[in-house]
Amino acid sequence: MKILMCTDGEEYAESAIRFGGRLAKEMSADISVLHVRPPISPRNRVQLTTARKKLGEWNLEIPGVDYLIRAKEILADIGLTKTSPIMEEKLSQAFRIGIHGATELHLIGLKGELVRLRLREGHPVDEILEETDLGDYDLVIVGSRGHKGFSTHFVGSTALRVADLAVCSVLIAKNIKEDDDFLLCTDGSRLSEKAEITGAEMAQKLGAKMTILSIAEEKSKEDEAAKLARRAEMILAQMGIKAKQKVRVGRPSEEIIDEARDHDIVVMGSSGSSAVKKFFLGSTPLKVIEYGECPVLIVREKRGKISLQETSLS
Amino acid sequence: MSFLKELAKRRWLFIGLLVGAALLSGPVPEGLTPTGMRALTLVIVVFIFFITEPIPLPGVALFIAIGQVLLGLERPTAVAQSFMSDSVFFIMGSLMIATALVKQNLDKRIALAIVKMTGPSVHRIVFALVAFSALLASFIGEHTVAAMMLPVGAALINYTNRDWRKIRNLSTLILLSIAYGAMVAGAGTPSGGARNAIMLAYWKKLFEVNMTYFEWIKFAYPMLLIEVPVIGFILYRTFSPETKDLSPAVAALKEKVAESGPISSKEWLAIVIFLFTVLMWMTISDTIGLGITALIGILLFLVAGVVKWEDLNNNVNWGTILIYGGAISLGIMMKRTGVAEWLSHAFLEWVAPFGIHKGIPLLIAISFMTILMASFMSSGATVGVLGPITLNIASLSGTSVIVAGFITVISSSFCFLTTIASPACNIMYGSGYLSKGIGSLRDGNWSLFRLY
Repeated sequence: MKILMCTDGEEYAESAIRFGGRLAKEMSADISVLHVRPPISPRNRVQLTTARKKLGEWNLEIPGVDYLIRAKEILADIGLTKTSPIMEEKLSQAFRIGIHGATELHLIGLKGELVRLRLREGHPVDEILEETDLGDYDLVIVGSRGHKGFSTHFVGSTALRVADLAVCSVLIAKNIKEDDDFLLCTDGSRLSEKAEITGAEMAQKLGAKMTILSIAEEKSKEDEAAKLARRAEMILAQMGIKAKQKVRVGRPSEEIIDEARDHDIVVMGSSGSSAVKKFFLGSTPLKVIEYGECPVLIVREKRGKISLQETSLS
Repeated sequence: MSFLKELAKRRWLFIGLLVGAALLSGPVPEGLTPTGMRALTLVIVVFIFFITEPIPLPGVALFIAIGQVLLGLERPTAVAQSFMSDSVFFIMGSLMIATALVKQNLDKRIALAIVKMTGPSVHRIVFALVAFSALLASFIGEHTVAAMMLPVGAALINYTNRDWRKIRNLSTLILLSIAYGAMVAGAGTPSGGARNAIMLAYWKKLFEVNMTYFEWIKFAYPMLLIEVPVIGFILYRTFSPETKDLSPAVAALKEKVAESGPISSKEWLAIVIFLFTVLMWMTISDTIGLGITALIGILLFLVAGVVKWEDLNNNVNWGTILIYGGAISLGIMMKRTGVAEWLSHAFLEWVAPFGIHKGIPLLIAISFMTILMASFMSSGATVGVLGPITLNIASLSGTSVIVAGFITVISSSFCFLTTIASPACNIMYGSGYLSKGIGSLRDGNWSLFRLY
C-alpha cells in the first residue's frame, strides 16, 4: 500500500499527517508527504532563484521545505521513522532535485517503509493529482480547515477538487482527532461493498470500533435498507470483523452528516453517478465532505487496474 | 484533446488577432490616416496581449517588431533602431549592475548595518528596513532589492521563532516593509526602474525635453522622504507584531554575519565601482548618455573581476530588456503615426464635460488611469503603452509634460491592488513566509488611500 499526504503547513494538515503516519505504521505502508509551493511568475524567476540561493547562504531552509521538516518531525514523533542527531545535521540541506521537477528527500521507516518528502511547484490541485497519477498511490490524505465560517467555501476547494478528481481513494481529514470509531456507509452497490471492506481492514488495523450505516430514502424502503446493512455485516463477519448495524431514514447526505457526529471517520464508496448527474444533483460523498464536520474516506477502485491482479499480487 | 486544450489556453492570441483583423477591415475613424488606423490596430492587439499574456511577454515584444514591419508602419532598420536606444542600454546596464551587486555578500553587511543602527526594537527595525530598501531600490530597482533583502527579513523571522506561524504578524510586517519600501522607491532615480528609463526616452524623443539624472532625483526624492516614514508607520499599525523585542534574533544575526569575516577587498571594490557609476550618472551622463555610463560601470565590474560574465548571463532577465525595447518602439511608433495624438484628443473630448480636461483634475485622472492599467499588466508595459498618450494629453491641454510624466511613472508603481502586478510583493509571496490572503487586497486599499 502507498499513501500520499498533502500539507500546506497549517495545523489541520499536521493532524492529518499524524493520522496518516499512524495508519502507515499499522499497515506497513510506504508514504509520501507532499507540499505544493505556489508557482512563481516567470518574470520574477531570476530574482527568486537568487533570493533562494541567498537563503541557502544564511543556512535558512528554502520556503516550503520547513513544512516538510515539520512533517518529518511528526512522523518521527509517532514512531514511524527514527531520528538520530547525525541525520538531523545532514537533513538541513539534503533536499535535492528529484524526478519530474520535484525536490525530494527519502527516509526509511523502522519496518522498512519508504518515506518520501516531496516539494512540487504549481497549482495545488493539479500538482496533487499529477503526483497521485505518477506515484501510483492507493490513498491520498488531504487536510481541510473544517467549518469555521465563510472562508470554508473557498479554502476547502482544494480538498474537494482532489476528492472529486483523484484516481485513487481519498481521505479528507477534516477536524481529525480520534480514529477509533469508523462509520461504514453502504448502499448495496459494488463500490460501497469495496468501501466497507477497505474501511473495515483499516479500522481493524487501527483497532477501531465499526458501525454499518444503511439509509432508506423513504420510510417504505426501510426493510430493504436493513437487509443491505445485514448483508454488509455478513461480508465483514466472513473476514472475522464484528460491526454494529444502523438504519436511518431520510436524504442520504444529511443523514450521514448527522450520524457522523457520533463517529470519528466516515467511509463511503465513490459515487457512481455520471458527470452530468453529479453536476446537477451533486454526489453524496462530495456533499458529506463539503457540509459535514467529520473526516471522510472515499474509496475508489483504481482506474486501469484490474482487481484480480491486485489480489493475486497481495 | 490535448490539442484543444492548448488552443483554449491560447484563446486570447486568436481573440487578439481576430480583433486586429476586424479593426483593419473596418472603417477608418475621423481624424486618423489609414496608416494611423493600422498603427492603432497594432496598439490595441498588443494591449490585449500585454494584459492576457497568451504568449510570454518577450514574445509580445517580438510581435511588436514584426507587426510594425508587416503592417508597413516602419522600415526594418528603423524598428531595430527604436528597439535598441540609449534608454534600453540604460535598462540593460542597470539590470547588469544590480546583478553584479547581488552577487556580492552585501545582504549580510546590510543586515548587520541595520541591526547595529537600530538595536532590538521592532519599530526601529521596521523603519530601517523600509528606509534601506527604499534607498537601495531607488538606485538598483525593486526586483533586485527584494531578492537581496528577502534573506535579511527571513533571517530575522527565523531567528525570532522557528515556527513562523506563531509570529504571523511579525513575518508579514518585516517582509512587507521590505517590499513596500522597495516598491515606492522605484521612481526615486532614473535607474530605479525600467519604466523611468522609458519615460526619459519619451520625453527626449517625443517632446525634446532633456531631463538629467540629477534633476530627476531633485524632483522625485523629496516625495520619497515623506513616504518612507508614512509607510513604516502604517505597516506597523496594520500588523501589530506579536513581540516588540527582537534581541535574540539580533544576537543570532550578528553571530551569523561574524562568521563570514570582515568585508573583503572584492566587496569593497564592488561598492566603489557602483558609487563611481552613480557619480557618473549624476555628473557626465547628460553628455555621454545614461546607457553608455551604465555600460562603463559594467565594463569596470568585468575588468576588476568582481563579477563573472557567466553570472551576468545567467541572472539578468534578458527578456525584460526585449520587453522594454518593444514598449519604447511601440511608443515612438504611436507618436510618429499620430495615434497618440488621436487617442489624446479622444480622451480629452470625452472628459471635457466632466471638467477634468486640464490642470490638477486632469493629472488625477491620468494617475487613476495608470493605476488601473498597472493593476492588470506590468508597470513597465503600462508606462510603455500609456506614456505617449498621457504626455500627449498633457501637451495638448497645456499641462506640464514633465509633471504628467512623473505622475504616470509614480502611479504605475502604486499597483498593489493585485499582487500579480508588483514584482517585489510577488517575490515576498513566493518566499512562502507571507500567509495567504493577507498582504494583497487589504494593504492595497490603504496604499491607494495614501496616495492622495
